[in-house]
Amino acid sequence: MVPVARRNLFSEKGRFAISVAGVAFAVLLILIVLALYRGFSRSGQTFKELSGDLWVVQQGTTDPFHSLSLLDSERIASVRETPGVASAIPVLSRQMEFEAGGGRPSARFMALDVSSSTPLSDEMRESYIPAPGRIVIDRTLSRKTGLDTGDTVVISGEALVIDHVRSAGGESFQQFVFMNFSDAQRVYGVHDIVNYAMVIVSPGADPRNVAAAISDRDAGVSVFTADGFAKSVRKEINESFLPIITILLAIGFVVGAAVVGLTIYTATIERSREYGVMKAVGGSPSFLYHIVLSQSAMLTASGFVVGLGAAVGVARLAAELVPDFATDFQPGDVASVLAAAGLMALVASFVPVRRINGIDPAVVLRA
Amino acid sequence: MDGPEILRVSGLTKVFGHGDAAVRAVDGVALNVCGGELVLIMGPSGSGKTTLLTMIGGLLRPTSGSVVIEGLDITTLSEARLAPVRRKSVGFIFQSFNLWDSLTVLENVELPLNIAGIRGREARQRAQSLLTDRGLESRLSFRTRDLSGGEKQRVSIARALANEPRLLLADEPTANLDSKHGRDVMHLLHDVAKKGDRAVMVVSHDHRIREVADRVLWLEDGRFKDMGRLVTDPVCGMSVDVDESRASLRHGEQTYYFCSKGCSWEFQEEPEVFLRKGVSSSGAG
Repeated sequence: MVPVARRNLFSEKGRFAISVAGVAFAVLLILIVLALYRGFSRSGQTFKELSGDLWVVQQGTTDPFHSLSLLDSERIASVRETPGVASAIPVLSRQMEFEAGGGRPSARFMALDVSSSTPLSDEMRESYIPAPGRIVIDRTLSRKTGLDTGDTVVISGEALVIDHVRSAGGESFQQFVFMNFSDAQRVYGVHDIVNYAMVIVSPGADPRNVAAAISDRDAGVSVFTADGFAKSVRKEINESFLPIITILLAIGFVVGAAVVGLTIYTATIERSREYGVMKAVGGSPSFLYHIVLSQSAMLTASGFVVGLGAAVGVARLAAELVPDFATDFQPGDVASVLAAAGLMALVASFVPVRRINGIDPAVVLRA
Repeated sequence: MDGPEILRVSGLTKVFGHGDAAVRAVDGVALNVCGGELVLIMGPSGSGKTTLLTMIGGLLRPTSGSVVIEGLDITTLSEARLAPVRRKSVGFIFQSFNLWDSLTVLENVELPLNIAGIRGREARQRAQSLLTDRGLESRLSFRTRDLSGGEKQRVSIARALANEPRLLLADEPTANLDSKHGRDVMHLLHDVAKKGDRAVMVVSHDHRIREVADRVLWLEDGRFKDMGRLVTDPVCGMSVDVDESRASLRHGEQTYYFCSKGCSWEFQEEPEVFLRKGVSSSGAG
């Protein structure tokens, strides 16, 4: 089969390159925005990475970042006595400035009061429960501040040494520092008050039933599942960023469709006479549509491949320059963008196909 | 001609516009063309030649009349059913070649085969053979823009023959060619008619094609005129209908007919100058 579509596209190499760049730009925009959104959506992930099934907060607390929760030891004791609770770990959490390398960055400092009998894996203890005088920072904070294992930071006059940098973690809006609970009490200046209780339910217990039992027992607390606690962080992101992201995605789609559409339309207009000859020699409408659709598909596919490569490159470069630029390319999103690109090609072919319908084959006999 | 009848045109009429602005481009034309026959249609510009060819090729619907190709009346067919007729039964050769610029020479001939459902090696071999037969074996991978006019027209003829149509329609096939290439194309068309037992219909202003034509028809004002009543104006060389000439003069033993009074005055001043030019068939005894 003569590759008419490919020949038509490649006969104008300059225009083809410009068109591919246009589609690639649209794909880049869509993919980067989606990856950024996924990166933002990792906010609160740290609460899921900790082993707690439930998070108990002071009644009325909306989320861990924008709302203060205070629980005293009586409330913690009440939680511990609730049937189905294997362990209730007191947690201190506070956004704080600290001194490091001549600067004053800030991060969310967290400390879990874990005893030797608490049912936590060694891996969890190693990652989140440092020894007194030591802290664990996440990768993003390390890259932002240049701090690394063995460096010392000063928090409220207290010098603490970085035990290690967590390879996991790293959120766009919030960096986490884990410290020893006794250090946290001293730094925060509190003794009988904590912010949350992280609950590990007994084996076989349903976390939802346990949550209901905790709430029934003490009306002064609210209970989130680990997932719900993480989602409460993302709620604000979704409410404020989703409309913007939707608009950017729509713009990307329209730009892509316009580039493909204009390219194919121009190519169709320029080759009207050639399409007329095809009609004159008996080319059916479907044969001609196939050429136009193939041209759109090839242009879009080329733009998609270039755009995907560019998006990954841009994300890596941006992450090097701006550590907070957390992107997450998910296979599902890439597949969705590929499907959107296919739709783009289809939409972009609509006008050229109409144009082809209108070409009079008798045009070939006009000088 | 002895060959089977391939084309029968009856009462073919095309009217453009309405009311006072209506123009009868083709007016009740009737014509039969058989296999092995090359018919040349001549006539002044605007006489309806191309409109006639366009209707016969199924590219334009007539106002009335019929076009029957190999027994099938194409004027009654829908556009969807006309496409297969154009694909299989009719081949077109154009004045401006109308080759596909982005394709190679070989692909230009292969594509009509693809359109007709013949693909792969079979299509390639058939296209190659058609081009080789026309002396283009060294040009198969060339872009058409890199060919000379004569080569382009040979590709165009090969393309027209790709699906082995019985009727070939050529619109001014030599108009964009020099005399040598024009002559080559004329002989190619003659061979196509004779060796392939095809009906070839050529519309042209080129008098040289008369050499190879089996019949020459004169179309004027949308109607065929009797070639026997046509003479050539000895001054300007135009064909003039004896009955409709603007002026006539008797010189020696012959009467000369002119397209205008101006031509007759010029002739009257120095008749020998124009007669020495040797315009044939310029006078009637």
